[in-house]
Amino acid sequence: MLKIRNGRDFIGGAAMIVVSLLFIWFGRELDVGNSFQMGPGYFPVILSLLLIGIGALIMVQSLVVAVEDEPDAPANWQAYTLVILAPIFFGLALSRFGLAPTIFLMVAAVSFASKYAGWRHSIALALFMAISSVVLFTRLLSLPVSPFGPWIPFLGN
Amino acid sequence: MDIFSDLLLGASTAFQPVNLFYGFIGCLLGTAIGVLPGLGPTATIAMLLPITFGLRPESALIMLAGIFYGAQYGGSTTAILINLPGESSSVVTAIDGYQMARNGRAGAALATAALGSFFAGTVATLLLAVAAPPLAAVALKFGPAEYFSLMVLGLVASVALASGSLLKAFAMIVFGLLLGSVGTDVESGMPRYIFGIPELYDGLNFVAVSMGIFGICEILRNLENEHERSVGVKKVAGLMLTRDDFRRIRGPVLRGTALGSLLGVLPGGGAMLSSFAAYALEKRVSPNRAEFGKGAIEAVAAPESANNAGAQTSFIPMLTLGIPGNPVMALMVGAMIIQGITPGPNVISEKPDLFWGMIVSMWSGNLMLVILNLPLIGLWVRMLTIPYHLLFPAIIGFCCVGAYSINNSVFDVFIMAGFSVVGFVLSKLRFEPAPLLLGFILGPMLEENLRRAMLISQGDPTIFVRSPLSLSLLIVAVIVLGLVLSPSISRKRDEAFTE
Repeated sequence: MLKIRNGRDFIGGAAMIVVSLLFIWFGRELDVGNSFQMGPGYFPVILSLLLIGIGALIMVQSLVVAVEDEPDAPANWQAYTLVILAPIFFGLALSRFGLAPTIFLMVAAVSFASKYAGWRHSIALALFMAISSVVLFTRLLSLPVSPFGPWIPFLGN
Repeated sequence: MDIFSDLLLGASTAFQPVNLFYGFIGCLLGTAIGVLPGLGPTATIAMLLPITFGLRPESALIMLAGIFYGAQYGGSTTAILINLPGESSSVVTAIDGYQMARNGRAGAALATAALGSFFAGTVATLLLAVAAPPLAAVALKFGPAEYFSLMVLGLVASVALASGSLLKAFAMIVFGLLLGSVGTDVESGMPRYIFGIPELYDGLNFVAVSMGIFGICEILRNLENEHERSVGVKKVAGLMLTRDDFRRIRGPVLRGTALGSLLGVLPGGGAMLSSFAAYALEKRVSPNRAEFGKGAIEAVAAPESANNAGAQTSFIPMLTLGIPGNPVMALMVGAMIIQGITPGPNVISEKPDLFWGMIVSMWSGNLMLVILNLPLIGLWVRMLTIPYHLLFPAIIGFCCVGAYSINNSVFDVFIMAGFSVVGFVLSKLRFEPAPLLLGFILGPMLEENLRRAMLISQGDPTIFVRSPLSLSLLIVAVIVLGLVLSPSISRKRDEAFTE
């Protein structure tokens, strides 16, 4: 009975194989062609097969070689969620609220991913970020985004 | 063409007030952000790239180069002052630099770093000016087969020089190549892996990808075990070096510069490898070996010179062949493409003012860094005291607006968020992200050249070994691979990276 000596690599190798299979699956309708006239599917398929091979090797290695590795830091799900949701919120809110309120809300909320955050500091920082990004991005760099969007009464357009 | 008239042409571009101005702003912003712990050159450039979009190409590239040196240098400041290397290439600087600072010689350590970097930068710039044109002339004779083999060599070498597991580095390259195939197929115009999303027709945006992997992902990692950092701000005094200091750093600076210039040209090399190698070399040859680790000025001079030289010469393969050797150069390639310039051997002949202007600006940028850093050191020290819980929300904010501004579309912001998760999972599984980005940027070029070569040879793969140039490139790649796989070398490699 084989024992997994390096769980991290076992998962890593498996992940690479899953990634390759996804590429093969989603590219199944692409024309592969032949080595003379390569179709759009040729290169990705070859690479996917290569990656399956490498992934398998990594998995085999994880059964044979034990590696001492420092343990992971404890997961901090609250921080992960906030940090990953922040850009998604930004993307969804930008065209509705405009730049200033979006940045303000996002920065204020995401700062609570840190355990040292406090209300006063977060609001000050969010205000500072909102003002400076409006000045920098809409005034100086004239990005096509308005400081206030249609969902903001009176100010939005 | 003789080199002096070329440099003169470059000077006339680089010394235009507007370009000097953008170079200065680049150095200033690069240093300011590079000083902040956890933000190395790659993240800094990815974050600041969007603000160069509106500029003329030469100004944009000069500014980006300035950001790069500034970020590179900013890492040394934190390494010396608070023992917190801002990026991997300052790790060894932190060892003795911080000890010097504790002995009250922070000023001397910073001055050594600045002067060593400036000297190395000057030499490496000249080297770049001398070496680039002949290399580009050779590259112009390259057909698709030669280009393909060269890129294979580049990718193999970048694995050899990466730290950590080789197999995993290979996996990352292939994963990167696969990600590079997302978008419209160049030959047939067929869409690939776009899931009906129109924004994906041009492929995944590499700035968004690298911002996610290098910027946001780093924040996720840092928040895992957050410690309140209280940085004691001490006054940095004594920037002047004594005569004895000068005598002691002369040799290390020269050796570091030579080593760094050499290693910078290698794919996957660049600043980090150079500084590690220079430290190891100095530890062998220095007469003051016993002082290493306790605040030896040699141990600051050598790696700092080497990493700056390496940073500079890593431009050589990027500018002459269009092949980036490290993630920073990959971002520069991306920036050039955004500016409508295809990096490669043609740049020298088609845009001589841009090419030589950039080279001369590297020297002027290095000079500005010395001027910026020594007197303004107090300002950088103050920036260091910004606590992380105020820093990371601001970084996320800038990354979001930056990602949005690439194409004025929120889609790239979502891509950035997605790749921060990908990067985070990969880092948990101990996969390195750098080879992924290299594969991603080289993927489309690799595929195009492969397909062209095979079309020329009518499907006969021996085309890659029939051309002597292509054959020798592939042989070198095989030798590199053999060397890496041989047990004795790989043991040495482990030592080098754990040191």
